[in-house]
Amino acid sequence: MSRYIIRRLLSVIPTLIGVTFVIFMFQRLIPGDPAIAMLGEHATDESIERIREQFGLNRPLFLDREALADGNIAGFFDSQYFNYMGRLTRLDLGDSIHRRIPVLETLKLRFPATVELSLLSLLIAIIVGIPVGIISASRRNSLIDSVSMVASLVGVSMPIFWLGLMEIMLFAVILQWLPAGARLSTGIEINGITNLYLIDSLITGNWTGFKDALSHLIMPAVALATIPMGIIARMTRSSMLDVLQEDYIRTARAKGLGGRLVLYRHALKNAALPVVTIIGLQAGTLLAGAVLTETIFSWPGIGRWVYDAILGRDYPIVQGGTLLIALIFVAVNLIVDILYALLDPRIRYK
Amino acid sequence: MTPLLDIKNLKTRFYTQDGVVRAVNDVSYTMNRGEILGVVGESGCGKSVHALSMMQLIPFPPGKITNGEVWLDGQDLLTLSEVEMQKVRGRDIAMIFQDPMTSLNPVYTVGFQIMEALLLHNDMTKNEAKFRAGELLELVGIPGAKDRLDDFPHQFSGGMRQRAMIAMGLSCEPKLLIADEPTTALDVTIQAQIIDLVKKLQDELGMAIMWITHDLGVVAELAHTINVMYAGSIIETGKIRSIYKNTKHPYTIGLLGSLPRLDDSPGTELVSIPGLPPDLLDLPEGCPFAARCEYRIEQCLVEKPPLVEIDGKDHAVACWRWEEIAGIRSK
Amino acid sequence: MAQINPEEFAVTDFAVREHRSLWGDAWRRLISNNTARLGMFIVVLFVFSATFSHYFWKYEPKKDLDYSLKLKAPNLVVTEEIPSIHIFGTDKLGRDIFRRVVHGGWNSLRVGIVAVGISLFFGGVIGLLTGFYETVTMTTLERILLFGITGLLLGLLSAWISNQIIQLVGYAILGLLAGYFNNFLSGKIMRAIFFGLLGALMSFLPALLMGFTVALICGTLGLFSGVLLSMTLDGRFFSNFMMRIMDMILSFPGYLLAIAIVAFLGPGLGKGMIAIGVVGIPVYARLTRSAVLSVVHKEYILAAQSVGESHGRIILRHITPNILSPIIVQTTMGLANAILSAAALGFLGLGAIPPEPEWGAMLGDSYRFLTSGAWWAVLFPGLAIMLSVLGFNLLGDGFRDALDPKLRT
Repeated sequence: MSRYIIRRLLSVIPTLIGVTFVIFMFQRLIPGDPAIAMLGEHATDESIERIREQFGLNRPLFLDREALADGNIAGFFDSQYFNYMGRLTRLDLGDSIHRRIPVLETLKLRFPATVELSLLSLLIAIIVGIPVGIISASRRNSLIDSVSMVASLVGVSMPIFWLGLMEIMLFAVILQWLPAGARLSTGIEINGITNLYLIDSLITGNWTGFKDALSHLIMPAVALATIPMGIIARMTRSSMLDVLQEDYIRTARAKGLGGRLVLYRHALKNAALPVVTIIGLQAGTLLAGAVLTETIFSWPGIGRWVYDAILGRDYPIVQGGTLLIALIFVAVNLIVDILYALLDPRIRYK
Repeated sequence: MTPLLDIKNLKTRFYTQDGVVRAVNDVSYTMNRGEILGVVGESGCGKSVHALSMMQLIPFPPGKITNGEVWLDGQDLLTLSEVEMQKVRGRDIAMIFQDPMTSLNPVYTVGFQIMEALLLHNDMTKNEAKFRAGELLELVGIPGAKDRLDDFPHQFSGGMRQRAMIAMGLSCEPKLLIADEPTTALDVTIQAQIIDLVKKLQDELGMAIMWITHDLGVVAELAHTINVMYAGSIIETGKIRSIYKNTKHPYTIGLLGSLPRLDDSPGTELVSIPGLPPDLLDLPEGCPFAARCEYRIEQCLVEKPPLVEIDGKDHAVACWRWEEIAGIRSK
Repeated sequence: MAQINPEEFAVTDFAVREHRSLWGDAWRRLISNNTARLGMFIVVLFVFSATFSHYFWKYEPKKDLDYSLKLKAPNLVVTEEIPSIHIFGTDKLGRDIFRRVVHGGWNSLRVGIVAVGISLFFGGVIGLLTGFYETVTMTTLERILLFGITGLLLGLLSAWISNQIIQLVGYAILGLLAGYFNNFLSGKIMRAIFFGLLGALMSFLPALLMGFTVALICGTLGLFSGVLLSMTLDGRFFSNFMMRIMDMILSFPGYLLAIAIVAFLGPGLGKGMIAIGVVGIPVYARLTRSAVLSVVHKEYILAAQSVGESHGRIILRHITPNILSPIIVQTTMGLANAILSAAALGFLGLGAIPPEPEWGAMLGDSYRFLTSGAWWAVLFPGLAIMLSVLGFNLLGDGFRDALDPKLRT
């Protein structure tokens, strides 16, 4: 088992390197000069040069072949890419070109917001999706089954941003029950270490803070959760249906095991495998959806932040942000693989 | 002595999109304690379905037991509720299945799966159950049994898995063990081992065994009595000697005749029965075998022959012309 | 008792099922499925209204502008204030939302088709080839070709560093040689040394023209490339490599990647189509590959090979028809996804250039007016997105159920 984990961890390294490379590449390929974006079109050539010098934008991208032609091997490697990689290993993500604030700082500030939103959404999706899937499978072709399957399909088809807007329309504008944006209402403060407001407020016993944070979280979390919820419900159902056809279910029944035991002990553990994979894949959807939700709900997370940076050609932010996102992806995949090995002994022993 | 198992007029239907499948049609027979019964027939003849029906393991849509009584030791199983039936399954009647690879849950250890049955039907602690499971694995001839309890099914070979299944089936000392084609998925050599094992166990433990198979050879070694099934009905039944030596039904004759024999002279053609089994969606009136039978007469097509005793309880056959057929054959 | 001569009785009273083809069967199942019927209805309605309106109800978005009608609620009858009927109301520039929604359908349809087309084509080819060559051994010709191309690709770096195109030729030849002389010097170490040195030389010598250090670096690259090419790289190696690349692309959240691509290519519906298409390639590659893998082990492929059918023929005649089922399902769902993605891009301001009517863009324009009560500008375009996506999803679901091999009796 531990050998499998180590093997799996090692295989992450080449992927990570590839990821950093692609992230780097992409940014540089986008036309548009951040120096001009920052200073405006009418800036003097000198100031543009100065900015570019400052941010190392005047070095060649990968390798300086002129330096090589001059016989300067050290200069050969003095390029944007290698400087970038060097800084990465020192965990230096640079400063935002536009705002001059270290990227790492803003990341630490904005990341928890997105994490809280995503985690809550995933939780909702799992808590609702899996039981719905199990019940639908155990009562195949009944009314409950048809209704929940159509509902999941509708959920999957719904554009997040539209759902969010509809929610705002209903709950914030018409009914005025919930606030329309931001993480906290003005005047409320939550202190804590994680910067995840729900947890921090619970730890410090800040009940008003908790309620306020929750009221702000609910709408975006539900909006974000609809697609994963639908997918998880359908996957659970189909996986359960597959498993219920298997011979070992018949054996379990023949032994005298009752319906519920058969379902939850024998069927679920086997059906869980594809569902776990799907849940892992949802991490990506959630992060992506974050961009849209954060826009509508004015949520101070990294989704919107990175998006703005892409358009503003603010390279360090884009690099730092996407690197983080990609890292999360890789981490989630790793967790999923390990969970898989835990659930299915056949994988461990390969 | 009252029989252990008494089945009366069992009928099972499957209601599908394409029509009603008449899988089991008016099956009646008895089994005594300690008797080994072989249920023989080709694929689709209803042999597995009738066994599953007995245990109420037929999935309700689309299947349904429309008629019949299944008396096991004074209880009509078909009248029991699901909860009551769960107490019977595994304890009074146990069933093992064809493919041991897929019949065992891959994510739980073999030991756990055996213990499950024990813990369910007996008042044991986990340790007692584990110990007993180890004993059972030893009983079925798995080397190093105690250590193998914590292994997963994929770590066992095919023959071992089937032995483990048998151990699971016997764990609560059932009165009747139903084995549904247990050796079909195994190599011939392993097959022989399993058959020997079952014989030995039956000797020691004395339970009744219903061995379902399409392989006449297997059944010859093992069974005391045989039911031959065709298209959902029993067409010949009786003591094994009688059936093999004094075969009456044209189908059984055909089946036995299709087996190559060691004492056949080289060049002897294998006899095969022409035609195909009838479509269970559209069963004809009369004898189900009529369309393929070389001895058929008009009555066969119109009226279904009942099982008629020809030698006391030791041999019965469902054919209008059973008396003549012996005559025809001996010519 | 009367005896009937058995021969007189024709053995025809066996119930023989009517002959059913695989596709006919699936079609019948599809039709009888209620949700699939609903999906089909929606899709047909969508396609019809989109194409019909595009060709017969001309709309010039640039000329559509009327501030006097700005943000009016839906009205069904003409009044003094509002001289025209707007069943969906008007947007911030006074344009009839109904008309724009209907025409937006055309754009969404196009995006869906092009994007999925790109994903399907490239992803499908990649998946097909990787799946196939992973199991089937390559012919000599195929192998030589592959090695040659690999050599060429390996040579790109050297060529760039030394600014010499001729390096490419050298590497390509290196590859071709390694592929052709497959069995030359079968000892791994000998072979590696030989080709390594050969590669080093072939790269070093021309590069000398550009300077010694350049030549040195190129030589080293040549050494590594030679060693690499000397190894018996078979189809499986390349498949794994390709799939690793696909995984790497997949390890990026799709949206972010699409946004980045659009940022790179510039705004415009066409660029949006390309972005969504490219993002989808790994999905189709994976899908096709796993479908091919499950088919390629079947006996009829083995049979075709033993009869001497060429690889191309096997792929076309045997493999492709049998992998269609999951591809059809994925394509339909993929269309749904593409429409959704296009709307998301449009919402963010990427994708369709205003004033082109595009559902997501319409939402993006109007959502800030929600708090002041203009619900119609947000409801109807969003509803259009949802319904069309739902239609394709329902249909895709129906396809999946109809083509499910397990349901074939």
